[in-house]
Amino acid sequence: MRIGSVKRSLPILLTIMLVIASMVLGACTPKTPEEGDQTGKEVDTVKIGILYPLSGVAANVGLDSKYGIELAVEIINGSYDFNLPLAKEEGLPGLGGAKVELVVADHQGLPEKGQSEVERLVTQEGVVGIVGCYLSSVTQTASQAAERLGIPFVNGSSSAIGLTERGLKWFFRTGPHDAHIVGNLFDLMDDVRAEKGKEILTIGLIHENTLQGADMGDMAQKLADERGYEVVCRFPFPPGSSDVTSEVQSLKAKDPDVIIMQAQTPDAVLFMKTMKQFDYNPDAVLGYGAGFVDPKFFEVFGKNAEGVITKAAWALDIAEKREDTKRIADMFREKFNQEMTENSSRNFTAFLTLAEAINRAGSTDPEAIRQALIETDIPGDQLIMPWEGIKFDSSGQNIYASGVCTQVFNGIHRTVWPFPFASEEIVWPRPNWSELE
Amino acid sequence: MLPVAVAVIALVYPKVFRLPYPQHVGVLVCMNALMAVAWNITGGYTGQVALGNTVFFGIGAYTSSLLLRDFGVNPWIGMLAGMALSMIAAVVLGYTTFRLRGYYFTIACIALAEIVSAIVVNTRRLGGAVGVTVPIREASLINFQFHGTNKAPYYYTILTFLAIALLVVYKMERSKLGYYFRAIREDEDGARALGVNAAQYKLIAFMMSALFTSMAGTFYAQYVMFIDPMSVLAQPVSVSMCLMAVLGGLGTLWGPVLGALTLIGISEATRVTLGGTGQAVDLMLYGLLVMLFAVFQPKGLMGMFGRLKARKE
Repeated sequence: MRIGSVKRSLPILLTIMLVIASMVLGACTPKTPEEGDQTGKEVDTVKIGILYPLSGVAANVGLDSKYGIELAVEIINGSYDFNLPLAKEEGLPGLGGAKVELVVADHQGLPEKGQSEVERLVTQEGVVGIVGCYLSSVTQTASQAAERLGIPFVNGSSSAIGLTERGLKWFFRTGPHDAHIVGNLFDLMDDVRAEKGKEILTIGLIHENTLQGADMGDMAQKLADERGYEVVCRFPFPPGSSDVTSEVQSLKAKDPDVIIMQAQTPDAVLFMKTMKQFDYNPDAVLGYGAGFVDPKFFEVFGKNAEGVITKAAWALDIAEKREDTKRIADMFREKFNQEMTENSSRNFTAFLTLAEAINRAGSTDPEAIRQALIETDIPGDQLIMPWEGIKFDSSGQNIYASGVCTQVFNGIHRTVWPFPFASEEIVWPRPNWSELE
Repeated sequence: MLPVAVAVIALVYPKVFRLPYPQHVGVLVCMNALMAVAWNITGGYTGQVALGNTVFFGIGAYTSSLLLRDFGVNPWIGMLAGMALSMIAAVVLGYTTFRLRGYYFTIACIALAEIVSAIVVNTRRLGGAVGVTVPIREASLINFQFHGTNKAPYYYTILTFLAIALLVVYKMERSKLGYYFRAIREDEDGARALGVNAAQYKLIAFMMSALFTSMAGTFYAQYVMFIDPMSVLAQPVSVSMCLMAVLGGLGTLWGPVLGALTLIGISEATRVTLGGTGQAVDLMLYGLLVMLFAVFQPKGLMGMFGRLKARKE
């Protein structure tokens, strides 16, 4: 390269490097000097850190979760006529009306970043609690960092069972985990047996031969044994199969009353199409996994998806059942121009739970907040979730966490279980293929 | 003078910055510098573009973690085992592809990384997609674990690893080996005509590279205490090593270190200051800066300093 171009480019590069250096320094300096124990002191704002994947593959979900929390902050800091904790008063009355302030951080879906961000948020930003992280792998390392620092960590939407089996003292999970989710499908069957008087004896299990699939299969097998259902066949399949004729033929031969299926979209479509081709009609298809909630599933499968039941952590039509929930969902739509989802609602709830505990503790002392979290007992009618309430067991898991089951009516998922939250009466058995023509 | 100044700054850094986050950034810089230095041996000196080095990083991380979890093997021994396994993997891959020219090696690297990642994801014994949690032992150098918020012990450990790698590369640069590597990069046919067994020396370079990358992998596992395929067996890991070496200056001793310092600096600073917005502004800025460097400094940062020096003289 000629000397001339060096002369031209050098100032630019030096400026860039200066900017970077100043940013690095800025990132590495604490913003709030720690003033020791703040127990009993009047504080103007309480800082809470939230940690989500705001870039990378899961960025959409992260942003959705962040919106849910921003809505929660607005409700806490403002005065709203909702039957929710902290809605009516401005700020946190327990701390003299202190306002809640969010410190948002992005972990990019990387466990190592989740860990270091927790450390930064606590030691440099001075947050008194953390809510996050959506991805179970990041929640794993981030909550461990919080444990070391002695800062409460509340999680709303990571479903790996192991997270609450680590014996952590500072970790709390408000949402359901994978065993709840499979458990809900069995609860649904129990209720259908007991309350609708249908006969369900046999189950067919179909799942991917991946980790999530195999885990789900094992859990379902165990629950079936415990609750008196007979698993008559079980087919693990490799994701992306091109032909499932033999599986479906054998299914038809065994003819289980209910099929529980975990699959991604292409496999879900393939199985359903093949079942239709062989005119195999189980009483119900209980779907689990992304395949059955993906809008593509309906695009491809159209009318034939009618009557399929899937699990979800939350569904929009729950809002129709409760006036306050509906108003909050409307507020969400107005503010962010999109519908509230299971992710925004779960994280909204996790954040509110932490804020409620801080308020009850009447202090920003971490140990006081932890004690308050342990004593949390929020009744179900003060939640936007279809739960009986929030109360943590000794592992930090909310004992009332559960999901809902939805069924497809005219191409739309409507809540059918738990029955008190149902917006449609469950259709059992599902319509036969011939009726769907 | 300069190396002494760098060494002093590196040594006092955690004494000056006592908060966990700046110390963590220091650890990240050293760890990535180690990976970039390792990548530079094949990619820079020998001119063979390996885009699958995440596989050695992953082997290092998984070998030590699984040995510790399932058999209680000390992580230092686990690290040596990981290094041995990585070298075996390098031999298998290198032996089959180094006879071929051009892009075959690069493609084979990517393929190997994907295969290993798929195997791990689908093997429950290896933690599957869920990953492996490293069991907690008493904090000590022997156990390769240091708890609490003071990250200085981790920092000095990885700094030592980096110093060893730099020393090896420094020696290599000045030895017969280094000349062979560069001869292969400049003109493989020419080198062979002069009697250099190109395939064999490419293999040696690749094995050295695998060795140090694997070391960084074990360090990562002991540092973060949790590994999963998404974080240690992923294509972005391979690419970032390459990016740092290229940005800093290919085939130079200090280039990869400089590249790691700059890239980690940019990415951490932009993420912390702008990442919370959720608009990915930080990543756009990061990309823009990398592009600016590539346009104005195609020879890397070392090239820029080289010219500065030349002008003075």
